[in-house]
Amino acid sequence: MARALKSISARMVLAVLLIHAVLLPLLSYGVLTLVHNVQEELFIDHVRIYSRVFADQLQSGGQLANEERIIEALDSSILGGRCVHAAFELDGQLLLSSMMDEEDGENFEEDFGFGEHDDNVYYLSTPLVVGNTMAVLELGFDEEPTVSDMESTRTTILTIVLIYLLVTVFLVMVLSALVSSPLQRLRRDSHKIASGDYTLRMSVDSEIVEIKELTDDLEHMRSTLVGINARLEGEIASREAAEKERRKAETHLRHMHRLQSIGTMAGGVAHEFNNVLLPILLYTDLALEDLPEDSPIRPNLERVLRLANRAKGLSEQILTFGRPSGEAMTVHADIAPILDEAMSMVRALTPASIEIRIGIQRPLGPIECDPNEIQQLVVNLCSNAYKALSKGDGSIRVGAENFEVTPEFAARYPRLETGGYVRLTVADDGEGMDSVTIERMFDPFFSTREVGKGTGLGLSVVHGIVTKHEGEIVVASEVGVGTAIDIYFPHVKLDRERLSK
Amino acid sequence: MTRVIIIDDEEDIRTVLKEIFVREGFDVAVASDGTEGLNLIRETGADLVITDIIMPGSDGVETAYDIRMEFPKTKIIVMSGGGNTGPLEYEPSAIATNAYLASAEAVGADLTITKPFNRQELIKAVRELTEQ
Repeated sequence: MARALKSISARMVLAVLLIHAVLLPLLSYGVLTLVHNVQEELFIDHVRIYSRVFADQLQSGGQLANEERIIEALDSSILGGRCVHAAFELDGQLLLSSMMDEEDGENFEEDFGFGEHDDNVYYLSTPLVVGNTMAVLELGFDEEPTVSDMESTRTTILTIVLIYLLVTVFLVMVLSALVSSPLQRLRRDSHKIASGDYTLRMSVDSEIVEIKELTDDLEHMRSTLVGINARLEGEIASREAAEKERRKAETHLRHMHRLQSIGTMAGGVAHEFNNVLLPILLYTDLALEDLPEDSPIRPNLERVLRLANRAKGLSEQILTFGRPSGEAMTVHADIAPILDEAMSMVRALTPASIEIRIGIQRPLGPIECDPNEIQQLVVNLCSNAYKALSKGDGSIRVGAENFEVTPEFAARYPRLETGGYVRLTVADDGEGMDSVTIERMFDPFFSTREVGKGTGLGLSVVHGIVTKHEGEIVVASEVGVGTAIDIYFPHVKLDRERLSK
Repeated sequence: MTRVIIIDDEEDIRTVLKEIFVREGFDVAVASDGTEGLNLIRETGADLVITDIIMPGSDGVETAYDIRMEFPKTKIIVMSGGGNTGPLEYEPSAIATNAYLASAEAVGADLTITKPFNRQELIKAVRELTEQ
């Protein structure tokens, strides 16, 4: 309600009403007074002229000679409708018209003003000289017609004023609607824009220049802001994306450096270890040679030899993590058969309750690799995937395809370069890993399983093999959902002729 | 009798290798570093030298080079401990065993062998070299 009172149309109507409330009574009063005075003066002028002319006619017509003639003249003035009262005073004798009652004229002495004494009669005395004596013609005129004229004039004027007021208020309301409806439209539009509909064009049909200009300015502002907004949103999105990429690359690099230093350390440990292991192996061998076939010490020494050989195997696995092995790498135009062989091994080792889905593109390559190591890598990854399927069922997906590394993709992983790669994926729908586990998954001897179940070397061997092949490992894992490990091996760049030879 | 000289800074390794070669009927002498080994060859000659790759003083690669220059007919086997054969502060790339072993072969070693190996492997390789 308060808002409605403060609206443009209410304000304009109120202002017009206020102005008119002050001006109209003044104006009406002025006009009415003027009209009233004019009408009164006209009446008075008229009756004076009539009286004078009547008096002159009496004097010049010789009717003053006898009383009857005078009364006749007085009667005719009443009959003519001019007067309601007619009397003639001569030498102290009052002659009255026979057409009037005796009691008429009682106010005569004092009623000489228009509208006085509520008798609707205007009395006028006109003096005239008859011989040597003064005579007075007394006439009373009916005020009624003039008074009713005045009233009807006043009614007309007031009616006109009222109509004028109503028309004015109506026009003001129409005018204010012309202003306020486009403003309301603008307000609705700007509400919509504020609530997110930035593409809404502001336009209003209005003949009013100010409103047109306001609308144009608002629309200009809106389109400018939309442009700025879009630019800022784009900038924020690209910065967020860049920051995300940067953090990912940083994590990856840190992980890589960590693995490198672990590799260096593991290599150093293995070296020392091997220098100890070699004499153990050889001395035990010599000791066994010296013992008679039936010596009770022999079985124990044979155990020592067997365990030393197992330690040798472990040491080799540690070294696979840290450094390239001595095996020569060869170029393979298609490694799909190598993977097939590895997968038949995996199938043989995995319980039938585990579903294994394989999708290998052919031909796959060419890459330069050590086939035995590639197979070891596949077996280790699948073994790891199987162990993640704690419930004893679930599925393992092994896929391999040729993959084009784009510059954007390469930017995320320092070991990848733009160009062709073979991407090997081993995925499971098992337990998944948290970030702490992912950080450490390639560490030698790191295992999430109980001590004694597995060496914790499987994935570190995978890491060593991938490093040797100048490849890259990308791990995606979510606890409770599963793990997918992507391995990238670079396509070898050589001319087809050499390959075919 | 085929004369074998064993060069290694680890006494245990020297001793056990010597025992093995003696049992195989070789004439064996040992040295604890490259310089000592080279002097030994100069004094008594050698058909085969088996040397460790990482040693204080003159290392296996240097030793192999010197022997090859002085005694072209002597067979040389270089042993590597595998892994990063040196203190950890070494640049990993500079001490990568493969490259190191390859450099030994490049300067004239006839064979490179990675520790730990077993007795049969060693004897087989040595016989193949000496009976050429």
